[in-house]
This record gives sequence, structure tokens and C-alpha cells, in this order.
Amino acid sequence: MRTRRKNGQQTVAYHQRLEKSDLIEIYRRLWFARLFDEMLYDAKKKGRLRRGNVYGSRGQEAIMVGTTYPLRPDDFVSPIHRDMPVFVFRGMTVEQVMCQVWGKAEAPTRGKDSWSHMGDMNLGIVHSTSMLGSTIAVACGVLWAQRLDGRRDRVLVAYTGEGATATGPFHEGVNFAAVHKLPLIVVVENNQYAYSTPVELEVPTKTVAERAKGYGIPGYSIDGNDFNAVYDTMCEALAHARAGNGPVLIECVTYRLQGHADHDETRARQYRPVEEIELWEKRDPLPRYREYLLNTGLFEESELPTPPLDIKLQIEQAIAYAINSPDPEPHTALEDIYDESAGVSL
Amino acid sequence: MREVTFLEAIRLALWEEMERDPNVFLIGEDIGRMGGAFGVTEGFLARFGADRVVDAPISETAIIAVCVGAAAAGKRGVAEMQFMDFISYGFDQVVNVAGTYLYRSGGKTPIPIVVRGPSGGYVGGSLYHSQQFEAWFFHTPGVKVVQPAFPDDAYGLMKASIRDNNPVVFYEHKYLYRRIKGPIPEAHEDYIVKLGSARVRRYGEDITVVTYGAMVHFALDAAQRLEKEGISLEVIDLRTIKPLDMKTILESVRKTSKVLIVYEAPKTGGVGAEISARIAEQAFEWLDAPIMRVAAKDAFVPFAEPLEKYVLPSVDDIVFAARELAAY
Ligand SMILES: Cc1ncc(C[n+]2csc(CCOP(=O)(O)OP(=O)(O)O)c2C)c(N)n1
Ligand SMILES: [Mg+2]
Repeated sequence: MRTRRKNGQQTVAYHQRLEKSDLIEIYRRLWFARLFDEMLYDAKKKGRLRRGNVYGSRGQEAIMVGTTYPLRPDDFVSPIHRDMPVFVFRGMTVEQVMCQVWGKAEAPTRGKDSWSHMGDMNLGIVHSTSMLGSTIAVACGVLWAQRLDGRRDRVLVAYTGEGATATGPFHEGVNFAAVHKLPLIVVVENNQYAYSTPVELEVPTKTVAERAKGYGIPGYSIDGNDFNAVYDTMCEALAHARAGNGPVLIECVTYRLQGHADHDETRARQYRPVEEIELWEKRDPLPRYREYLLNTGLFEESELPTPPLDIKLQIEQAIAYAINSPDPEPHTALEDIYDESAGVSL
Repeated sequence: MREVTFLEAIRLALWEEMERDPNVFLIGEDIGRMGGAFGVTEGFLARFGADRVVDAPISETAIIAVCVGAAAAGKRGVAEMQFMDFISYGFDQVVNVAGTYLYRSGGKTPIPIVVRGPSGGYVGGSLYHSQQFEAWFFHTPGVKVVQPAFPDDAYGLMKASIRDNNPVVFYEHKYLYRRIKGPIPEAHEDYIVKLGSARVRRYGEDITVVTYGAMVHFALDAAQRLEKEGISLEVIDLRTIKPLDMKTILESVRKTSKVLIVYEAPKTGGVGAEISARIAEQAFEWLDAPIMRVAAKDAFVPFAEPLEKYVLPSVDDIVFAARELAAY
């Protein structure tokens, strides 16, 4: 078991303090993320989903679960294209998310935008756009508002791929957060590729975490396929940020097991060595966590089904719900361009 | 003549310019190892090497800026935006850096760059993979704006854009990439389509339709339908949006006396507004009807199919507007 030494004292790692009920919930969340991805790929393949791309998160589940599990209900997240399950972990219903994927009237964007470009400020989910990196800077504004409200303890977890760390807004956002010591936790999901481009053509340093030095903030580079590593690091980062010490960058090293999106499956096996994909298949975070759970001695095999079928059913029901729910009325395309409800007059 | 897709025409123009002039280089995201998101630069890396086919980090500012700097030092960079929407990250480089360069260098340092990439809607791309923001650059001095509709023009205009000594923003409508096929000249013919020259794609008597990009095809479809009703459309494909070929437009207007301007971007403040104003200024006495516009509604391009259809202009919209004009 992993323990850490702090101020000379032996301390129990964060993940070791989790209850059995937590462990089972984490296990189920990992599976939720896995099945969410598999079932949408399948829906696209079978023509049940005919519009939009499916950006896979297979292999990156431990990051999504590990970075959200220790959050408080009043913390913020800003998920992007590979973080769809995070919307559910932070309070959206699976039905809402599926309506978004299918472009339905009930979707958070009312069918206006696609996939992960959605949010809900009541749930602390900050909306993103396609423009990679831009939410990192927007996150600073959300945190600034908390400062104005005297709520410096609310943390924002902003997700980004390693590729997007090359954008201007990423740099400007992290720099701003660091200068003003905002409680921003940047989770870099380093899945080794940005579309077809390998990480060494995106980032000049050996790790993405090294970028943190330039901002004078802590940077961690961890095994993103190890739930416990992600969870422990996140807990540490949260303590740091909540205490007013400013942002933290956590690089979760992982691998994009699929293509960039569902349309990219053939090419993704050409621009990457197949042996590399096979190697990372063996590092799948799900069997790894299951093995960990079995090793704790707290679980019987039968308590850890692969997959938990009720989750599959839940997702299928949400997909069916979305498919059967109404399309947006055409004229609503012209709604929500301006908000005149404030009725401001000269 | 070679019969090729719209996409292949662009690919060949880039290839032949790379072969012809060692100063030409390409830069963009995923353009080398993968050959581009749409495959426009497939095979280029193997032929021309990584110094001339540059896989860049996700840094649109730098991608365009590298072309600008290299242009100042005598090269001709062609930047690919994976989707034209992302040019917003490089907006400053196009507008404030490239656009002004010649002016502020006392005419000594021209900036021959091309910023190209897929644009436009009708593919369910939603907000950030569908836009037609040509009006941003249309409004910018020092920058030329090009958008072909047919393979031969795409081919000849790309060559002209690369050889032009000014910054060119080159829109490639993704809806046309693999849908439109046509003949292009052989490589040895050194075929060029001069920037700033429109082309009448269909001759007609009653109404002048001024348009560009994917809308040219919509207008031609509408013309075919209206022919059966005895309404004859003349369809002008601008090909270059800036500089505008007013001569071709005015010649046609003097013949038909009625004008319909069609563009895919939001109606307000679009390219059509400028064309309309110039016709009003320069050919008012020739007009028999108000100048009309068919364009997108003043909204974003939404994701859901019924919404996207509602916002973007259709062949029906052109037919209805033309009928109205014909009856005026
Ligand atoms: C500013 C900008 N440029 C280009 C793109 C197109 N694009 C979408 S995802 C992607 C790759 C992103 O790579 P990374 O940040 O590593 O995230 P990953 O997809 O690997 O999770 C690119 C280039 C974009 N969305 N935004
Ligand atoms: Mg990546």
C-alpha cells in the first residue's frame, strides 16, 4: 500500500481513507465512463446517431473519475471533448447529456451546439467551445467572480488535452491564474496525441508538467491510468488551491486508445504504431482498479461485475429517451442570441 | 484536361506550386503525417520533407505568424486552418500584422501568404465548424479574400493566391470538397485564374445573381428550376470576394436591371451589403427593382438539423426571392 511521508510523519494516502461504499461507487463510475463511450460509438456505427462526431474517452476513465470524486458540490468543472462522463458526475442527468448528443430540444443547448459544448452554471459546469484552450482563460473569470463574492475556497477544475497547452489562451489563462493565485486546477489529459500529431511535436519538454515551472506553480506528472494516483494527487492539489496558494497543474499521462473521433478509426491505426496501441490496451485503467479492489480483500469477485449491467441499462434507456424526444422547433434557432430580459433602458 | 474533385484540384495546385517554387512551404495542424483533417495534403510530407510540410502545434497564432515572418524574409507560406473557424485565434496576425505590413514598411516588404482551410455549413458541423467569416477580412485593408466554387477555379485561384504578393484568405467550402467534380487544365499549362476576376457561370436575361462559394451551386440549381417558369437567371461566381470585380457585376446589371445577391454568411454586415451599396452607387439608373439579398439568418450555425436548415439559405430561398424580383 502506498503511504506518503510528510514532515517526517507517516501518513495514510488519501485513497486509503475511502470507505467501501466509495470504492464501489468509484468502480461503477469507471464503468459508467467506459460504457458511455462504447455505447455511443455503437450508436454511431449502427446509424442510431447520425449527426456529429463521437470523441472517445476509452482509456482515460480514471482521470475523469479521479479528478471529480474528491470535489465538493460547490466546486466548478469545465469539461471538454473527451470528458463527457464528467457532466454526469457533476449532476447532469444521462438523459440531458444524450439529448445534447442527439441535438434535441431538451438538451442544455436546446440543440444549438453539439457534444461537450454545454454547461450549467447552477451545477458549476462551465461551458466550453471548440476553441481549444479558451476555457482555461474563461475559468479565471469564473474564479474571479468567486473572489468578488468572498468565496475563495471554491475550486475550478479545467480539463485540457496536452495538445491544447500550445494555445495562447491556455498560456494566458494559467499565467493569469498564477499571478492572482486563483484556485484553478488544470488537468492535462496527456493521451500522447493531438489528432494525429504526437506529443513531441506539441510540447518541447519531457513532461507537460514542466510547463508549470514557468508559471511558478506546482506541476505533477502522474500515471493517469491509475485511479489512486489521480485521486491522491487531486486531493493534494485541492488542499493547495483551497488554502489560497494558487493554481496547480496535473498532467495525467494516459493514451487515446481510439481514433481522434469515430470517423478516424482507420487512419488512427496508420499514423500510430499498432504495437503502441496494444501496449496501452494492457494498461487499461479498469482491470487495474478492479485488481486493486480485489487485493484490498474487501470484495468478492461477484461484487465487481464486468460490466455492471444496470449501468448499461441506464445508458440505453437514456439513449432511447433522447432518440424519442422532440427535435427543436426550427424557429428556436433565432432564440437566445440576445437576452433582453433585463429591460435596460436609457 | 484532368477530371478531379474540388479537393483534388486544391491538392494539385498546392503540389505543383511546391514543385515549381522552393520558397513555397505549408504549415498547419496534422497536415504532414496525416495529410490534413480532410486529406488535402496527403503525400506531401514524403515528397517535400518536414521543413516544407510543417506539422505545427495547436497554435493558430504561430502558424499564421510563421508564414508572415517567413514572407517578410522572402518565402511563401501557406497556412492551413484545420477548420476556417479557428482563424479567430490568428485574427490579429491576419488583420494587424500581415494586412498592415506592406503599408508600414513603406511599400518595401510585401507579405505573400495564403491562409486556407475548410469553411461553411450544411454538414452538421455546428457552431465552430461551419462558419463563413469572410466579412471579417473583406473589411480589412491589405488582405485579399478568395472563395472558389468549381475545381478549375479552385486550381487556378490557389496558384494565383500563392504567387500573389499579398496576404490571401482562401475559403474552401467543405461541402464541395468531394461532392463537386470537374475538369482542370494539365500541369504544364501553368493555368492561373487572376485574383479579382469574376466569372459568369450561366448566362441569363432577367435577373443577375451575384454569389460565391457553395451558393454558386445553389444558384445554378435555382436557375434550372426557374427556367421552366420562364425566369432566366444570370449567375455570376465572384471567385474573388476582395478585390471585387465590379465590372463584370455592372455589365450584367445593365443587361438584367434586377439583382439578387446570395451569400451563406449572416445577412447583416455581410459581403452582400457592400455589393448592394456599390450597385446602388454605380448603376442606380439601370435598376428596375430593389436589390435583394438571400443570406443566412442573423444567427450562429446551430447543430440540430431543423435548426441548421432554418438558419442557412436554401435553393428554395433563392427561387422565392427570384420569383419576387421577376414579378416586380
Ligand atoms: C483552436 C483550435 N484549433 C484546432 C482545433 C481542432 N482540433 C480539435 S481537437 C484537436 C486535437 C486536440 O488535441 P489535445 O489537446 O491533445 O486533446 P485530445 O483530443 O488528444 O484529447 C484539434 C487540433 C480546435 N478545436 N481548436
Ligand atoms: Mg491529446
